[in-house]
Amino acid sequence: MPLRSSSSLVRPAGSGRANGPGTSPARHPAGSRQHARGARAERLAPYILLAPAILIIVALRLWPLLLGVNFSFTGDGADNGTTVGWANYLELLEDPLFRGALGNVGLLVVLLPVAVAIPGLLATFIYLRVPGHRVYRSVYFFPAVLSPVIIGAIFNLMLAFDGPLNAVLAVIGLGPVDWLGDPDVAKFTVVGVHIWATFGMALVVFLAGFASLNPSLLDAARVDGASLRQSIWHVIIPSLTRTIQFVFVTTMIGMLTSMFGLLYVMTSGGPEGSTYLPEYYIWIQQGQMNRPALASAASTVLFLIMLVAGLLQISVLRRAGREN
Amino acid sequence: MPGRRLSKWVVAVPMGVLALVTIYPLVFTANVAMKTRREYILDRFSLTDSLRWDNLVTAWTSIGMARYFANSLIVVTASVVTLLLLGSMAGFALSQLRFRGSKAFFLGCLAALFIPFQVIMVPLARVMADTGLIDTYPGLVLAYVAQFLPFTIFLMTSYYKTIPAEIVDAARIDGNTVYGVYRRIMLPMGAPALLSVGILNALFCWNDVLISLLMMPSADHRTLMVGVTSLRGQYSDDIPTFASGVLIAAVPVLLTYLFLQRQIADGVTAGSTKG
Repeated sequence: MPLRSSSSLVRPAGSGRANGPGTSPARHPAGSRQHARGARAERLAPYILLAPAILIIVALRLWPLLLGVNFSFTGDGADNGTTVGWANYLELLEDPLFRGALGNVGLLVVLLPVAVAIPGLLATFIYLRVPGHRVYRSVYFFPAVLSPVIIGAIFNLMLAFDGPLNAVLAVIGLGPVDWLGDPDVAKFTVVGVHIWATFGMALVVFLAGFASLNPSLLDAARVDGASLRQSIWHVIIPSLTRTIQFVFVTTMIGMLTSMFGLLYVMTSGGPEGSTYLPEYYIWIQQGQMNRPALASAASTVLFLIMLVAGLLQISVLRRAGREN
Repeated sequence: MPGRRLSKWVVAVPMGVLALVTIYPLVFTANVAMKTRREYILDRFSLTDSLRWDNLVTAWTSIGMARYFANSLIVVTASVVTLLLLGSMAGFALSQLRFRGSKAFFLGCLAALFIPFQVIMVPLARVMADTGLIDTYPGLVLAYVAQFLPFTIFLMTSYYKTIPAEIVDAARIDGNTVYGVYRRIMLPMGAPALLSVGILNALFCWNDVLISLLMMPSADHRTLMVGVTSLRGQYSDDIPTFASGVLIAAVPVLLTYLFLQRQIADGVTAGSTKG
């Protein structure tokens, strides 16, 4: 706003809103002289309103981020405080547990389209008003508001070797499967439980996207004889690009940062370290191994992964949206 | 169109099964919580023959769930009140007031939104330890406020942007100071958003385990979710009592969901439509 400085010169006693959009003298008929004493306080008001929030965000979020990056180049234990260069990062690369954790991140990225497609498809059916759609919406969303700790504790019971799931499998002549004790199975079990617990969140976001969809487009497609699959592919997906993009990014962030509770309760990273994720690795190194500098290096790696993956997805999806 | 109706049922049946699968684990847990240990070992699937509250009473009184529950209630209440106060103040300033640097502040908030807790937890624990705030209620409240404030500010700002400037101007003409406008206009008019964001924040704080685990290491400061994780080792041979503890921790969320589902959904989707 180029007029900002001049307008405040014209009305030095103006209030905090003096520079506001479309402010005209007519809106302050009482004249600003009476408010002259309070003017200074009024001008400072926005900063006073913001001060506590800024203080907390800078001191407890932005500053720690810098502190952590700095910290990751120092040593642990006897070397506490001395600069060690890239030593922590090299150690991470050689640690099979951290490499396993990165491998599991790769697995999550591969499974990401599944975790987005399931709620997307279910939301489509709910939008098309299959019988009982109101009930489904409420029921599916419910696990998403439960703590991962509760979900994990419940599934410890469900997935026990002699628990309900194996009992069901026995009826159809399968299993039993050692869901949480077999290193090849456990990671899929945990991801499965995570998807089960969170797909309702994405579902609700998709439904909000559908609310902004123009229904006449779908009607037109139907009149033209399009099948459901063609409607989804040529009408729904192109019109919901923004929503799909949002769900992709939030689902990935969720997978990388909100599985701690499940891991902590269900597997503790085991069996044989097969269910480690970076966030769990950071927790173990900081809390149990007393290696805060190494943990900081892992934090920095996790931050970079999330940054790159987030930006990559946005650019890919944006390009896809443009082609359509 | 009978064909289309039939195909809808073809989809509806698996969706109904999925709904049952979604609800069953909770029903199973509630059922187990009502059983005696003997009953559980003999047959864990049958419905309990009577509603027994003994396990719940045991969990509440003798294994510390009451204490954990109170800790969670204190911390969540303090955190949500602080978040709503600071979030609405900042949201008001960023949406309705013009001042130097307002864009920069908003972008700073957005940047903070994308810093996950895991990335800053090590240095944050150190800052808290250095300031003597670790293992204290104010420390945990501060950690929660710092974690969820950017999100709160973001939503309150976008909500307050929908309030016409004329209303604020009219209140100013009536002689209100900026703070008067905040108290008399912004707080009451922001009520729907404050309710939605407040519930969402309450759920986030109530459900959290990592931040609490890190900030409140001592046993009698445990919040409810950390308390539940500690049950696993202690009561691995007494599943009904374990299930009772889990149920106690889940019930407040269940009640919130039953009555305020729409507000929760509004909060979750606000970011997707306005971002």
